[in-house]
Amino acid sequence: MAGESRIGTLLRYAGIALVLAIVLFPVYWMINMSFKDTAEFTARPPTMIVKRPTWENYRDILISQGFDRYAWNSLLTALTAAVVAVTVGSLMAYALSRFRLPKNFNYHLLFTILTVRMFPPILSLIPLYYIYKQIGLLDTRFGLGLIHAWVEVPLVVWMMIGFFRDIPRDMEEAALVDGDTRLGVLRKIAVPLARPGLAATFILVFISSWNEFLFALILNSRNQTLPIAVAGQITQFEIRYGNLMAAGVFATVPVLILAFLTQRHLTRGLTVGGVTG
Amino acid sequence: MAIRIRAQEAARVRPVSARAPWWERNLAWLLVAPAIAMFALFAIYPTASALLFSLSRARLIRGSLERTYIGLDNFRRAFEDPLVRQSAAFTIKWSLSVTAMEVLLGLLIALLVSQLARGRGLITSLLIIPIIMPPVSVAVAWRFMYDPAFGIFNYLLNLVGLGDVYWLSDPDVATYALMAVDVWQTTPFVFLLLYAGLISLPRDPYEAAAIDGASPWFTFRTVTLPLLKPVLLVVILLRVIDSARIFDKILVMTRGGPGSQNYSMTYTIYQEFIPKFDFGYTAALSFLFQLSLVIVATIYVRRVMADYSAPAE
Repeated sequence: MAGESRIGTLLRYAGIALVLAIVLFPVYWMINMSFKDTAEFTARPPTMIVKRPTWENYRDILISQGFDRYAWNSLLTALTAAVVAVTVGSLMAYALSRFRLPKNFNYHLLFTILTVRMFPPILSLIPLYYIYKQIGLLDTRFGLGLIHAWVEVPLVVWMMIGFFRDIPRDMEEAALVDGDTRLGVLRKIAVPLARPGLAATFILVFISSWNEFLFALILNSRNQTLPIAVAGQITQFEIRYGNLMAAGVFATVPVLILAFLTQRHLTRGLTVGGVTG
Repeated sequence: MAIRIRAQEAARVRPVSARAPWWERNLAWLLVAPAIAMFALFAIYPTASALLFSLSRARLIRGSLERTYIGLDNFRRAFEDPLVRQSAAFTIKWSLSVTAMEVLLGLLIALLVSQLARGRGLITSLLIIPIIMPPVSVAVAWRFMYDPAFGIFNYLLNLVGLGDVYWLSDPDVATYALMAVDVWQTTPFVFLLLYAGLISLPRDPYEAAAIDGASPWFTFRTVTLPLLKPVLLVVILLRVIDSARIFDKILVMTRGGPGSQNYSMTYTIYQEFIPKFDFGYTAALSFLFQLSLVIVATIYVRRVMADYSAPAE
């Protein structure tokens, strides 16, 4: 392409600049508006960069609306989801990448788990409401975390199979020859070596649980998580847009920080599993 | 995307001696047991009880569930319910339109980015932002931009001398305004998948095309598109199934409105479930919804992807 015209290159960069502008503007606008006071909020023309930045909106949602509690609920739920999903999923991934189960079970298990990813359990939602009510998990952060974990177990399995496969087998075999047990090998060699993968997967599950809406809305109406609380800002009668924007930003910031921490593996995770709403 | 179990690799680990403790001999099963237990608890048992619910009149009355068998009445009611028909039609329209737009735009952006000499990494990281944002935050950001009085869109329209548009309450506009939000959030995801596919394509066919002096458009049609087709087909399937489940953005932005125009299937199920706690009817609805998704996916995989899916190992 070296011989191609400069205009072509220029057009391409212009095109991508336009795409980036469209992608980033709504995010920027939400942040910008969240720092405006009431007067500046309704000003026409709107100020493109906030002139008198204020924490007013954030103070409102944190102090008078209890967003600190919703954040705590979200945190506990997402941690439960991530711990459970990463444990259950990576144990299964390790088994599938190291052992050969009879009757082609490796393939069947992998296929079944993929089906779960394709059809998240909307059908389970209504019975789960009843089951949870009976066993006392309804309106608990732990119960919500469990179902979030289940939704993401397929992602963990598929990602961790890749990571476990990248670990050289020789070390494990050497340890086995030295008389170590297989469980010991898993604990002392495989898990430490797969740590970057485990961390990345943990963060992906955390993000997905943090963002989830439908299950959180129905199964945990008492300990609201952040998305539910943000949506709750919109009432029939009035919308305080300043608070709403601050709430939106407040729910987004932790996710952005986590995403940038794990950048290297994020793309892989997103393309394997897709943390989409 | 396909990850295959490499059988010969797995077999290389030597067998455990018969004198090892039972948990050592059955370690593989023990390791998959928690996942299987979760599968039973969160997939099999709820599905079975959803089926049972759907054949019953089941309501929550003063905290306890009263259930009587009524055969297929719930399903009959579902097929006769105009709201269900309407939301099924909406969901089909939504899923197909959104997928089409996202795949087209995603492909375009992927082609664009793959031709850039510099800055690809940075661009990809920036494009990831919408994917990982909470959909609810996305919805509130857009809801504000759409606001007739304070939103930026109407401000810009007024600036060029056009009148106000009621983005979320005008029946002619609302559906498209909602779709735009989904396209905004999910096109980057489609981009990411297609871009990953695009940069892993073999170089040789392109060099051959360049030697033959083929035009870019001709190269795209005869080389890129056929090579990318397997990835494209998977992406389309993923998006059709995922987008059919749209719920949060619709709830936050219009509550299904104006009227019930933008009720998706999931939104209708939610509306029937939360105030009334009609377990029987909503279980029947979710069963029908899930079943249609499975049927669509099966037909698609059999008919469209048949030539491309690798044989099971």
